[in-house]
Amino acid sequence: MLTTATASSGSGSRSPVRLAVTRFTQQPWGYLLPAVIILGALAVFPLIQLARMSLSEVGPRTIVGPWEFIGWSNFRKAFGDRIFWQSVRATGTFTLVLLVVDLVVGYLGAAVLSSGTWSTNLALRIMVFVWALPPIVSGSVWRFLLAGNGAINSLLGLVGMESVDWLSSPDRALLSVSLVAAWASLPFSILVIHGGLLSLPTDVIEAARIDGAGFWGLSRHIVLPILRPTLAVLTVLIILYAFRSFDFVYVMTEGGPGTVTTTLPYFAYNTAFKTYQFGVASALAMVSMLVVIVLAVPYMLGLRKEHAG
Amino acid sequence: MIGVGRRWGHAAAGVLSVVYLVPLAWIVITSLKSDDQIRGAPNALAFTPTLDVFREVLDVGGGAIVTSLRLAGFTTLLVIGVGVPAAYALSRLASPGWRRLVTIAMGVLLVLQMVPQPMAVIPLFSILARWKLVGTLPGVVLADVSLLLPFAILLLRPFVLSIPGAIFEAAELDGTNGWQRFRYVVLPLSANGIATVGSIVFILAWGEFIYATTFLTEQTRLPVSGLLAQQINLYSVSWNRMMALAVLTSLPLLAVFLLAQKRLVQGLSVGAVK
Repeated sequence: MLTTATASSGSGSRSPVRLAVTRFTQQPWGYLLPAVIILGALAVFPLIQLARMSLSEVGPRTIVGPWEFIGWSNFRKAFGDRIFWQSVRATGTFTLVLLVVDLVVGYLGAAVLSSGTWSTNLALRIMVFVWALPPIVSGSVWRFLLAGNGAINSLLGLVGMESVDWLSSPDRALLSVSLVAAWASLPFSILVIHGGLLSLPTDVIEAARIDGAGFWGLSRHIVLPILRPTLAVLTVLIILYAFRSFDFVYVMTEGGPGTVTTTLPYFAYNTAFKTYQFGVASALAMVSMLVVIVLAVPYMLGLRKEHAG
Repeated sequence: MIGVGRRWGHAAAGVLSVVYLVPLAWIVITSLKSDDQIRGAPNALAFTPTLDVFREVLDVGGGAIVTSLRLAGFTTLLVIGVGVPAAYALSRLASPGWRRLVTIAMGVLLVLQMVPQPMAVIPLFSILARWKLVGTLPGVVLADVSLLLPFAILLLRPFVLSIPGAIFEAAELDGTNGWQRFRYVVLPLSANGIATVGSIVFILAWGEFIYATTFLTEQTRLPVSGLLAQQINLYSVSWNRMMALAVLTSLPLLAVFLLAQKRLVQGLSVGAVK
């Protein structure tokens, strides 16, 4: 299973040979030390600092300290901000669009592409390439395609329709950006579900097919239940992806028009680097971190369960 | 396979290919247009392709490519140099105590990998400012390393784990020490994995723009991805320039994709969260 290879190796290597070997292995500490130092200083320490900053008064002049402890005041300021609640809603919408597109279209796409012909293999390859593109690249081409004088609108013009403000209308911008992000992450979903479909027990499928099950019956009663652990992990991954979805907002709309497409990560970043309220920004980041941590637990449990089952 | 015919497969493949190929083609097509063409008919399909805008971008931002090369190169070197030994340490289960530690370390790495980058950038800015590294390339390299190292270790570990234990046993019978086993067993036998993870790290570091634009305050020092990100701050975006920069930002991916597509796809999928 593609997604689980990283975590599965944790418990799956207790062969007698390996155990016999490991008894003689020298202390592995030395090999781990450089990584511990670097990650300690640049990944773990920043998280501690982030927590401290969220409880302190940190402005542009005091970015390196000393920080004055001010309790929950940054959080109060953040929660009292209208834009905060708007960004929570925007993040929610963004996540929802990603989930619907990536899971529903992802499943249908993977099912339809699982016939394994030259054309489906080619389509998968193209999609994977697009998925691997830096988000700033795919974001900027969509900014052009959806611009007022962009290709989508001139295509609409060719068939006699009026052009649409994809990115500049407050009603439509969030949906447009969300759909582009969904477009960019869909290949991953299809790839993961495709992998799951390939590992289905063929005899069960055949038996159900002989009993007269069509695509929908097969999906509902056999395929989806078997794929449930995979889909659960995928769901968590999509939500996490949505929570780091900064790039598409940054490139396509810069949070606008107004603050319509300002998602939580974008709001936190702007609060830090546009208005230099590092303390409030840290509080916003801590709120997002909480979501990540809440999701990290079922993710890891899901990985373990999928590996066991 | 699950009751969907080939005809549906061909149809879906056709639709999806168009939906994904057209934007790709649009990047390349637009980057080959001149300023006049962009002003007049930005979406025209019939035009004389010109490399003018690439020439101009390279004239003005030739340094950006050097910056990108240095950033991605040093990041990759550091990540691999630190990540491979770490993956080795986390693969050899020396004692029950160590095994527990490996479980914990894997958990920490998974969580670190999930920290959203726009969040991590806030405290990192403070830390790098304290070390006087804001505005310098080493600062961005360190930030990139911290971003990609957890991911790289998680990706590298299965490659080290897949080395058969019998080989280690044989090496031990020959009286090698831990370092020799690392140097003469682990490195050669996981060379494929190291190459795969190294290219992925290089591609990701090349396309990274959040750290680059936040930490490198002078525009002249930005890498290609940073220049692309900066385009949106300009009063009027010139699409051909933006798409030329998009092409340059995608070059390493294109190169690796053409050379070692299968391995790249496997490696990226294993990393899951990305």
